[in-house]
Amino acid sequence: MKQTLQTAGATAPAADADNVAALHGVDFAIDDKPIFRGLDIAIRRGEVTAIMGPSGTGKTTLLRLITGQLRADVGRVVVDGRDVAGLSRRELYAMRRRIGMLFQNGALLTDLDVFENVAFPLREHARLPERLLRSIVLTKLQAVGLRGAARLKPQQLSGGMARRVALARAIVMDPHLLLYDEPFAGLDPISMGVVMRLIRSLNDALGISSVVVTHDVREISQIADSSYILSGGQVVASGTPAELREHPSPVVHQFMDGLADGPVPFHYPAPDYVAQLLDRSEAA
Amino acid sequence: MTSLLAEMFGNTRRFLERLGALAWFSLQVLRQAPAAALRPRLVVEQVYHSGALSLVIIMTCGLFIGMVIGLQGYDLLHRIGSEDALGVGAALSLLKELGPVVTALLFAGRAGTALASELGLMRATDQLSAMEVMAVDPMQRVVVPRFLGGLVAMPLLTAIFIAVALFGVQLVGVQFFGIDQGQFWSQMRGAVEPGDVYEGLIKGLVFGMSCSLIAVFEGYTADPTAEGVARATTRTVVISAVVTLVLDYILTALML
Repeated sequence: MKQTLQTAGATAPAADADNVAALHGVDFAIDDKPIFRGLDIAIRRGEVTAIMGPSGTGKTTLLRLITGQLRADVGRVVVDGRDVAGLSRRELYAMRRRIGMLFQNGALLTDLDVFENVAFPLREHARLPERLLRSIVLTKLQAVGLRGAARLKPQQLSGGMARRVALARAIVMDPHLLLYDEPFAGLDPISMGVVMRLIRSLNDALGISSVVVTHDVREISQIADSSYILSGGQVVASGTPAELREHPSPVVHQFMDGLADGPVPFHYPAPDYVAQLLDRSEAA
Repeated sequence: MTSLLAEMFGNTRRFLERLGALAWFSLQVLRQAPAAALRPRLVVEQVYHSGALSLVIIMTCGLFIGMVIGLQGYDLLHRIGSEDALGVGAALSLLKELGPVVTALLFAGRAGTALASELGLMRATDQLSAMEVMAVDPMQRVVVPRFLGGLVAMPLLTAIFIAVALFGVQLVGVQFFGIDQGQFWSQMRGAVEPGDVYEGLIKGLVFGMSCSLIAVFEGYTADPTAEGVARATTRTVVISAVVTLVLDYILTALML
């Protein structure tokens, strides 16, 4: 049963002015396997919103719905007050220019160096004099602390550096919404702290809104203004990190405390263990 | 029996679906080709990757194929006392058949596999998705320039292959077996018509189009896994080879 402290579904279209993006009653399935059922989420302007949940709950799919790379089967995905499904291709691309996205692995273009990766969106969309373009790129690289790595190739970067270059690229067009897909995955504690501080400081300094998809509860709790926990295709809880820690739901409790077993089982569904061990026909 | 029929039906359906997807993909590529051609720097880069980087293998194979033609041709013609016709026979076979076909097979093996694996890896590492989110159409920015690069490179490679192969024939026939140099070249000039040259270049262009399309289609639609990229690369070579030979028959029949 859906339990929320602050039900996203209550965020009616009338409140969309306060939200940079919102999902209203979204159903989505891949190959007949339901991912979301009646999902309601609101991303408030100027805030860092965390989307958490166990692996395989469709957190990345949620970002792809917001960017219009996937279309909801039922329900509405609204970005900047406009239903993404109703946008023409030109309008969709115009919307994407105002969104930055950090992919889990950085997704840097491997045939370009760091400088050209960050310059890529500017070269594609803006006819800027080379001197101005250079200044903008160096400013963004300075913001993520990698101005000195401008001429390195993506293959020469560590995981954390690649993530920061991708972040510089994501903000180079001055977006008003930044989407982060598992920004802390696979990072050492120093890189994790750097990325964490960057997410918060960029959000505040640039006056943008951020959506962070993650399952690193402790890290995101330090920087998120509000959080949603997804499970079973629905929002099971939402609120500030402090509110979520006090949430009565066993799923939320298991997730926030990192318990191996609980409502989300440790074991994938399987036949009886002893019976399967003793089953000679399967062994043959 | 029922399961066999069901499997045959399934395979046929998958083949037709794939063929339909290729046709739709080809239309998209051709539709966007004029716009992509307006960014010549991207196309020139791809001509370099598909063409210039294939030069060594094309020239090496061309030289040795020419030398083999020289050996076999001389052996055959010597039996009927017509060694001087070696140049004519070699030129016609290279211009009309061997040049474009062998170049296409080598192109599929070198440039085609590189294109397919590059696009497949870009898909697997989210680079294409990242472009979409940055409001950049990967079809226009990545796929079409690679297709056009292959299209431009193939006729050029074909011409170079034929020229080097003829040099190989001359090397064996004239320098090694002692055929008269003047006879060798003058008979060739007398017998080869502009139509023979055009036939080779038209075949080169058509094979360039088919091999490049197959490579970018397989790479772009590859499953985003190591196995998916490997399968796309293999399919590029196999399908390109079969399509090249089928198209060669059709074109030869049309141009006879």
